[in-house]
Amino acid sequence: MRARSLFLLVAALGLTATLAACGGSSKSSKGTTSTSTSAGAAGGTFIAVANKAPSGSPDPQIDYTLQEWQLLIFTHDGLVAFKRVGGTGGTQLVPDLATSIPNPTDGGKTYTFTIRKGIKFSNGKELKPSDVKYTFLRLFKIKQSPNAGSWYNVIVGGDACVKTPASCNLDQGVIANDAKGTVTFHLTRGDPEFLDKLAVPFAFILPTGTPNHEVQIPPPGTGPYKWVEYNPNKALKLVRNPFFKEWSKDAQPNGNPDTIIEKLNISVEGEVTQVENGQADWMFDLPPSDRLNEMSTKYSKQVYINPLTAVLYFAFNVRVPPFNNLKARQAVNFATDRNALVKIYGGPKLAVPTCQILPPGFPGYKAYCPYTKNPGSGKWTAPDLAKARKLVAESGTKGAVVKVNTDTTDVDKGFGEYFIGLLNSLGYKAQPQFLSADIQYPFCQNSKNKVQFCFSSWYQDYPAASDFLNVLLGCSDFVPNSNASPNISEFCDKGIQAQMNGALKQGITDPSGANQKWAQIDHAVTDQAPWVAMFNPKYVNFVSKRVKGFQFSPQWYFLIDQASVK
Amino acid sequence: MAVFEPEAEGLVLDAEETGGDVVGRSPWSLAGRRLLRNKLALAAFALFVLIVAVSLAAPLYAHRVAHTDPYASNLSGTFQLNGKTVQVIQQGAGKLGLGETPVGPTWHAKYFIGADSQGRDVMARVLYGGRASLFIGVGSALLACLVALVLALVAGYFGGITDLVLSRLMDLIWAFPLYLLAISLATVLLARPTTKPLKIWFITLQAASLWIPLLIIGIVYIPYVFRPIRGQVLSLREKEFVEAAVAQGAGSLRVVFLEVLPNVLSTVIVLLPLMIATTILTESALSYLSIGVQPPKASWGTIVEDGQTLLYTRPWVAIAPGIMIVLTVLALNVFGDGLRDALDPRSKVRMK
Amino acid sequence: MVTFAVRRLLGLIAVMLVLSVLVFLIFFETPGVDPARLMAGRNPNQATINAIRHEFGLDRPLPVRYALMMKRMFITRDLISYGSHTRVIPEITSATPVTLSLVVGAAVIWVIFSILTGVAATVLRGTVFDPILMILALIGISMPVFWLGEIVNLFTQSRWHGFFLFSWVPPLGYTPITQNPLKWFEGLVFPWLTLSVLYVGFYARVLRANLIETENEDYIRTARSKGISERRVLLRHNLRTSMITFVSLFGLDFGILVGGGALLTEVVFGLPGVGLLTYNSLTSLDLPVIMTTVIYGAFFITLASALVDLLYAWLDPRVRPT
Repeated sequence: MRARSLFLLVAALGLTATLAACGGSSKSSKGTTSTSTSAGAAGGTFIAVANKAPSGSPDPQIDYTLQEWQLLIFTHDGLVAFKRVGGTGGTQLVPDLATSIPNPTDGGKTYTFTIRKGIKFSNGKELKPSDVKYTFLRLFKIKQSPNAGSWYNVIVGGDACVKTPASCNLDQGVIANDAKGTVTFHLTRGDPEFLDKLAVPFAFILPTGTPNHEVQIPPPGTGPYKWVEYNPNKALKLVRNPFFKEWSKDAQPNGNPDTIIEKLNISVEGEVTQVENGQADWMFDLPPSDRLNEMSTKYSKQVYINPLTAVLYFAFNVRVPPFNNLKARQAVNFATDRNALVKIYGGPKLAVPTCQILPPGFPGYKAYCPYTKNPGSGKWTAPDLAKARKLVAESGTKGAVVKVNTDTTDVDKGFGEYFIGLLNSLGYKAQPQFLSADIQYPFCQNSKNKVQFCFSSWYQDYPAASDFLNVLLGCSDFVPNSNASPNISEFCDKGIQAQMNGALKQGITDPSGANQKWAQIDHAVTDQAPWVAMFNPKYVNFVSKRVKGFQFSPQWYFLIDQASVK
Repeated sequence: MAVFEPEAEGLVLDAEETGGDVVGRSPWSLAGRRLLRNKLALAAFALFVLIVAVSLAAPLYAHRVAHTDPYASNLSGTFQLNGKTVQVIQQGAGKLGLGETPVGPTWHAKYFIGADSQGRDVMARVLYGGRASLFIGVGSALLACLVALVLALVAGYFGGITDLVLSRLMDLIWAFPLYLLAISLATVLLARPTTKPLKIWFITLQAASLWIPLLIIGIVYIPYVFRPIRGQVLSLREKEFVEAAVAQGAGSLRVVFLEVLPNVLSTVIVLLPLMIATTILTESALSYLSIGVQPPKASWGTIVEDGQTLLYTRPWVAIAPGIMIVLTVLALNVFGDGLRDALDPRSKVRMK
Repeated sequence: MVTFAVRRLLGLIAVMLVLSVLVFLIFFETPGVDPARLMAGRNPNQATINAIRHEFGLDRPLPVRYALMMKRMFITRDLISYGSHTRVIPEITSATPVTLSLVVGAAVIWVIFSILTGVAATVLRGTVFDPILMILALIGISMPVFWLGEIVNLFTQSRWHGFFLFSWVPPLGYTPITQNPLKWFEGLVFPWLTLSVLYVGFYARVLRANLIETENEDYIRTARSKGISERRVLLRHNLRTSMITFVSLFGLDFGILVGGGALLTEVVFGLPGVGLLTYNSLTSLDLPVIMTTVIYGAFFITLASALVDLLYAWLDPRVRPT
């Protein structure tokens, strides 16, 4: 289990809305629910280790990785924030730089925030409403912010800013009043996720005068720490911000360590050894599989396992032979030994087999598994090879050549190797198509490449069934001949799409009724077998002996600054 | 990283051997006699032949002895060991139950040196891996030698602009980063849809074809052989017998084939085993970096790479294929040394 | 001599130019490669991709793109990596000390041990030790360095780590010498030894062959007949002459290794040097870093071979190039 591609695992984490997220995921493997920071004393240096620098950019308005976001949350603040606690509470929105969370007016199109007084940036300057306006102008002016055109263009004038960043002014969209201490946002339409979008690092407030181009170290912020070093080959270093005074324990609690260092460019094996020896306090990457054994036996008290709302799957291309044939797709689903795949990932403690699209604990989730021996319980138990062979014979696709596409990281390649063997045993002629992790995902998305069977994974942006079903299998998410077409299966069922549109509409007024609908849609899609859903993964954190107060937030994962090393 | 000092003359006779008893013998048979006297070189050659034979017998081992398919995953499988049913991939241990571990060496027919992380029999894979490694090693060395020989004859004999262009081309290949070539070529070939595999003459370049690493390595090593042979051809051109042939009105093609070629052939023969040793090492490095032979197929390098994630728990997965590489390359180097001593006693051609 | 140096310099620039153009073309011919899409994150819309494409000049014609990249690499020196969005030049300059530490240390070991082995084998010719030493040297040449590295890791990091002889071995990785010279040394001991094994074997064999060859040269025979002691002949005359080949080979290998040739050793031991940087940029298809490392590597390789030629010309006037 080498470090998985950041691009999928980590950049994958986006918004989390206020709905209950990970179904009690806060519980660590030891069954101790993490509570607030009282567990340890302040002081000392927290040393994290990682294999690589965050992929993306040091710039907080460009970077889209968990690795950097985990640090940015305690150097910067948004107007609102996800409550800084472990467990389900961590998905709740609380006011941060704003004094309260405003109720939108004007049919959900206007939000007015009052900015707290007396908060200072780490350069000593006082936070003013005009800084908020400057931040959003910069978001567009730096041109490369990944979600500027998909999340923040809902602000009036945003679309024009995306088109011509140079003349971007947002005069109609963001109105800052330094005298009154307020900022007002005008949106082009009601957006139920707008507040969530304000709580992620893209919208963290930067001081006026921050250069309008990509910076090489995060600029001053308002949090309890500030960045002093960003060397992608060596280390990231954060020290206390002398101007910080705690104003809200929920939104931005003071941190425990005096200094936080993330050493980079350390082999994953080396990371494990350093944590074991106490030379480092926490490893960012997932531990390699041959070290899990010793961690499990000798260091079990330092390991925390938390489930994720995510699914790993192989997508069939439903428009290219042989998997344009429903029976062929179902056959592979029946034949897949999900326990074997779980073993490749690290064993039953690290993953739970699944047959459906939605992960457990998700809104609209109802256990369902038709592709198993003795279906009915909703749980996957064992493969049904006899049925699979029968379906292959009926489909008439035997002998077809299938390229199994996955990326070259060890575990993902392992899945590919498994499926090559399986497809061969079903009578297909399977070949590997293992591509560099950095091009595999866009490669699969482009319909020009006619990828037949492609590995992928999905980690929630926000806990809504549509984030899985509509984003990954909706008709409009298939864009022909484009590298940005998340519906890899090229699946488009008119009937199911109509149901999804209905459920989306219903969700505005009747969320629970809509979730019932989503459950039906989930099952209907599963019956159409656009994927082989493999399993829902869990996350392993390995910390040193001296680390106290481990908390796992469903939004930000391990809350580093809330742990204590003293 | 080879270093050559081009040998001007083809075969050179040792001072002691130009005595009376060799009169009338051809240089080739002399070389043969010298080689036969070198016990170490013969033993090395025997070892190499043994490794080739064992690798060729891989299917026999897999089907008759281990009863296994070296390419199919066997993650949920079980087998009988000393009357007990054993899981191929054993469940994690300790309080947390983490860390799935493949079965270790049983020292029995099944899983003789254990399983890899996909539950496949490592011994069977090492034998099959030998086929791939040897095929690519020998194939690319032959390719490099053959192409280099032809180009060197052309460049060395015709000289002038032909020589200049070819030599600069060789410099470029030489300076080109091998790994970049391997990655980009593999990606280009992998990315083609199944319906349109690339065909070069009789070779169909499917995604996982062994021909891909073979061609890459073969091309990269052409300059390696080209340089010494070209030097030799250049100096041969000045020799009297070639000049005599030209004076007698022999066509250039005739001169190249009848006069020059036989004289440089010994160099190529000396180089071949050493080249194979080099290409086998290169192939293993490429596969180790996951840009050579693609799993589930295997070469020795691929298996070492597989074994890397199991290094601390099941070290045999990485150790065994490495031993095979060392033995093969060592045998080729020792034999190549002997061959050089026999054909070229002044030991001018060296390589690393 | 000056014209020779100028010619070599021009040749060096030409090789780097052609090489960089080739790398550039191959990159954009690789299917699936779309730097703008890569930089745009997980689920971008087309507008964002287009904006990034424009921002990085990726919508311009290929020659313009190439010129832009060269300008940012050599003139403004602010070339940005597609992967980490950080400057490439500092990445390389911070990786260079790691590679230099590894290569210089290994070079010291291989020079000392190969001379000792080579001379010993020559002196002990006719005894059983000569063939034994030479077989050992061959074994060194026959071992894949990545495999040897793994075996070394297996024992020093795991199997024998508890044993007092190896308990000092730090976890894989690199500590800068400025930060802690002892840790720097400890962390590099096994990478040095592993990397030098191949070269000790090779250089010992080269040296032995050269020593034997020069032994038969007239002037050595003369020296010997003059009654100069055997040891003196070997060390003062023979070894000195034989070192010409040795030194020129050393120059070439050193250049290749500094230029990123120690890639496998760096990968196995997790040393963040130029080789590892090259490898990572290749696997992530990060063109700016690939281009810079390729040019960097080609620079050292061609520079080394030019220097060696100059050295040769200086040592041996007969081969002075024209």
